[in-house]
Amino acid sequence: MARERVTQADEWQAWAQRYDIEGGIRTFESGLTVKVFIGALFVGLLMMPGSIYLSYVSGESGAGAAPWVAVILFTELARRSFTTARRQELYMLLGLTGAAVGSGMQYRSFIWYAYFINTPQAASYEIADKIPAWIVPAGDSVGVLTRTLIHPDWFLPIAIYLAQKLLGTLRVVSGQYILFRLTADLERLPYPMAPITAQGATALAETTGKEETWRWRVFSIGSMAGLIWGFLYIGVPSLTGVMMSQPIQILKIPWIDFTQSIEGFAPTGVFALRTDFGQMLFGFVLPFPIVMTEFITAMASQFILNPQILYRYEILHQWKPGLDVRGVGLFNGLDFWISYGMGKSFSLALVGMAASIPMLFKLRKSKKTAGERGSIATPPNRGDFPIWLMGLLWLVGMGGFVWLIHWMVPNFPLSFLLGYAFLYTPLNSYITARTFGVLGRDLFEIPYLHEITFILSRYEEIDIWFAPLPDEDYGRGTQGWRVLELTGTTFTSNLAGTLLIMPILIVSGIVVMHFIWKIAPIPSAQYPFAQMMWPINATNECLWKTSLRDGNSQMLQAIRGDYVSAGFTSSLAIYGMLWVFKLPSMWFYGIVGGIGADPGSMIARLLGAIIGRFYMIKRFGMKRWYMFNPVLAAGFACGVGLIGMGTVAIALVSKAVIVKPF
Amino acid sequence: MEKVASTIIIIGTFLWLFSVIVLEGRWQWQMFSALVLTIGIFTAHFWEELRDTDSTEESGDE
Repeated sequence: MARERVTQADEWQAWAQRYDIEGGIRTFESGLTVKVFIGALFVGLLMMPGSIYLSYVSGESGAGAAPWVAVILFTELARRSFTTARRQELYMLLGLTGAAVGSGMQYRSFIWYAYFINTPQAASYEIADKIPAWIVPAGDSVGVLTRTLIHPDWFLPIAIYLAQKLLGTLRVVSGQYILFRLTADLERLPYPMAPITAQGATALAETTGKEETWRWRVFSIGSMAGLIWGFLYIGVPSLTGVMMSQPIQILKIPWIDFTQSIEGFAPTGVFALRTDFGQMLFGFVLPFPIVMTEFITAMASQFILNPQILYRYEILHQWKPGLDVRGVGLFNGLDFWISYGMGKSFSLALVGMAASIPMLFKLRKSKKTAGERGSIATPPNRGDFPIWLMGLLWLVGMGGFVWLIHWMVPNFPLSFLLGYAFLYTPLNSYITARTFGVLGRDLFEIPYLHEITFILSRYEEIDIWFAPLPDEDYGRGTQGWRVLELTGTTFTSNLAGTLLIMPILIVSGIVVMHFIWKIAPIPSAQYPFAQMMWPINATNECLWKTSLRDGNSQMLQAIRGDYVSAGFTSSLAIYGMLWVFKLPSMWFYGIVGGIGADPGSMIARLLGAIIGRFYMIKRFGMKRWYMFNPVLAAGFACGVGLIGMGTVAIALVSKAVIVKPF
Repeated sequence: MEKVASTIIIIGTFLWLFSVIVLEGRWQWQMFSALVLTIGIFTAHFWEELRDTDSTEESGDE
């Protein structure tokens, strides 16, 4: 029997519908109340230190837990007070708490560059003394050596950051809003993934009703699992790190490396088992075909392609026995996989265009028959803004940003900055907004755009690598406006909440980051993930930042036209053959994601996907399992986050006591 | 149109395999194969999207 052909748009929307269990509403109310604002600030600022600390200890910030903790507290208080919480309030609470928790991470780059400037790698590649003062103070400055962000040395980097933040807010809010009006109001694109987030707020609002629903039970199960896992994986190393010079790790963070064990039969293959089994939850949620094809392709890459073909034909020629996963990964990347990966990314851009351009034609054709499409009139009381005002704000924000970059790197050609700002950014954002509107995901991305620009500009100074470029994408954010619409939250209340909380977070973020840096040097034994990854990241950053300095750089030599072409063409061939044989296009994204990747990093996700597909769906039924998924994942993130928060609190108190001499 | 798209894609895939195995993976030949594949993939998607619109309009007219 011939297999029936399913279009890519239909295939992806069918998946999106599995998560979409109810429609939105169309009456709008403000979600911003004093209790929401204070609640978000309280929980957000309480969990922010834990989130930063966790990201250095395990590589995962656990920031996903905070909004849920805020909502649980909020809904419980509402129930005890015999009142109810509205879905608008809960959605606002989720957003504001997420912003509050994430605010510490905005200063992460300061700590990274304070480390990077004094690394042997930066010195040996002769860039340590060329890092601009608007990124980080000099390596021998007091602000860096004494690990303090609250110091005059940091004035310039922080001032530049704040200017960028202000201008960025203007651009992002206005850019997203204009695109939302174009795609959601004018063209009526469906935004298939938006109902998932909207449903989360609705589900939690239900808990303040008289009857307790299944959601609370599922959330509790997830939370308990998260607490147990969080204690074993994060709690034990963090707590023993307080008492001992070398923390005890029940499971080695971040992976157990089997690369040397397999080199006998699979030279140049890598296999490092990632020990963060919290990834299983992602396996539950992600589409099964993607997880499966990704893993199979990764296994084939490391056990067949690398050792039997690429190594045998001396394409992977720098490998030598005894290297660990980082060494093998670096050499394999330089020999082949960086080039191949570039080509692979280009194919994703082309496939995205091939899928989205015909949709434009289709919409244009069907527009004639659709009565409402083509009208830009707004629903009443949604809290809309004048389009001209938003356009003006975007121009001011973008103009100011270009001027700032020009001030930072005065010798870089201004024409490139203007082209990025006023041609590339609107076009790129519009394409992404459309793909989010139709498929719920991004398809269009031009890889290595900065590198290509730097080559074309013939600008050879290092400073441009540290400067931001005005190549932005507001398309992804349009989905958030759609969620606001679905939850019935007025746009004005959301904007007011964001603007009100921002100054508080700017100040509190820097204070918390300063204190965490004071606990111990980053990286150090106290922060195992940073200690493991940052040295290799420093090497990679040096390779990239010096790649265009002279014709003999390692990175430039690593990029070979025939390998880039191989990545590009082979990916297109895979996509094409899947289409010819009427196989799901999801397989393509799995194959492209898995090729050349380490299968050990996917084991936990694979386990989750298999358990979900072959046990949970049979046990609970497809619809119920997809209803449980997001709530279970939220509960787990909440449990892990609580453990992280608890351990960081103990670590902070302990360090504060020990550091004091009297 | 579906068969045309499939044929172009299959030709492109064989061209690529040929360029890698016989022509030592020279980038010029690989990119030529990519061009053929691109034409095939665009044809496939245009056919896929626009056939539904045509059929909807036809049924609407009835």
